Amino acid sequence: MKTRDLVLISLFSAIIIALGLLPPLPLGFIPVPITAQSLGVMLAGVVLGAKRGTLTVLLTILIAAIGLPVLSGGRGGLSIFYTPTTGYLIGWIAAAFTTGYLSERLVNRDQSPLTQGFGFFLASVAGGVIVLYAFGITYLGFATGIGFSKAFVGSMAFIPGDVLKAVLAALAGRAVMAGYPLLPQRA
Amino acid sequence: MRSLHVEGTGWLYRLSPRIKLAGLALFSIALFLTRDPLLLFATVLMAGLVLWQAHLGFRETVARLRPVLLTIAIIAAFSFLLISALDATIALFRLTALTLLATAITASVSISQFMDEITFALRPLEKLGLAKGADVGLAVGLVVRFVPEVINRYETLRDAHRARGMKVRLHTILVPLIIMTLKDADAIADAIDARGFRGQTSSPDI
Repeated sequence: MKTRDLVLISLFSAIIIALGLLPPLPLGFIPVPITAQSLGVMLAGVVLGAKRGTLTVLLTILIAAIGLPVLSGGRGGLSIFYTPTTGYLIGWIAAAFTTGYLSERLVNRDQSPLTQGFGFFLASVAGGVIVLYAFGITYLGFATGIGFSKAFVGSMAFIPGDVLKAVLAALAGRAVMAGYPLLPQRA
Repeated sequence: MRSLHVEGTGWLYRLSPRIKLAGLALFSIALFLTRDPLLLFATVLMAGLVLWQAHLGFRETVARLRPVLLTIAIIAAFSFLLISALDATIALFRLTALTLLATAITASVSISQFMDEITFALRPLEKLGLAKGADVGLAVGLVVRFVPEVINRYETLRDAHRARGMKVRLHTILVPLIIMTLKDADAIADAIDARGFRGQTSSPDI
């Protein structure tokens, strides 16, 4: 791995952590403030691609696990692996990979801005919603013993917010692609 | 950023970190082998006793447990409504015991001990040429160094918004934040290579 990729991974991990430490910000078009850490996971895939995006998330989880309180709400330490919502944390890894992989395949620089934005949106929904919830719901059902279908219904309430984050990730991904493209130079 | 590790002197702090981490892993597997609520309650007490041995003090312990226990409590409340009381109790005891023990281990293992264990765990991958333990340490160091930098940038952007009478919105702040941060990558990478931190020669890709 080139030193530059190592640095990009570290810097993006710092962004994800900072997004969890900042006060929740309003989105603009909806009044509810959102915590942006899971948005950072989609962004890692969209901006850095599959390999670097996945490593970014792995590094972030590692830093939380070794005892730095870097997850939103000041969570950290090994106990993050033992909550009912741990599936979502593990799902971040697969989510960043899926988003990154699809972004690399669906989006290139010659497309129109609208096509790029739509490609990033599809990649973010596939990774940050479908794959993430597949992990999160399965583990929630298993760890609490309530079963898959009840965990599925219970998690539905959070999906609209995450779809909005995918829209935001797509807009930001496109703007970063225009301003400072990193996706084409795959690691 | 303050680590969750504290300096301590008890037996928990003297125990080798490898044993503590392996113990936690075995404990988490063992808990899923039994469905006896009494036995599980005993493990909660045992984990609580270990956490007490970390000598964190009452207030600090509560502060650390609050975010995780809150999640567990909310989901436990729902599971008592959705499934039988026995199943819900079993899940509640398992997760609480694990949280208590994990919090104790986290408090008693320092960042550098963790890094040593990670380097040790990566050794097989390193032999296959798939990963470098030293790179992981370097990356963790870089992140800890750059989180305050990112937050500074966010504050600059927030002030720039205010100076122009704009409201601070996530979608207007995110893109400049990402581009400004990532644009530093080349300079930082050059600085790392110039100091030879990764032990490579002039060839750029190893």
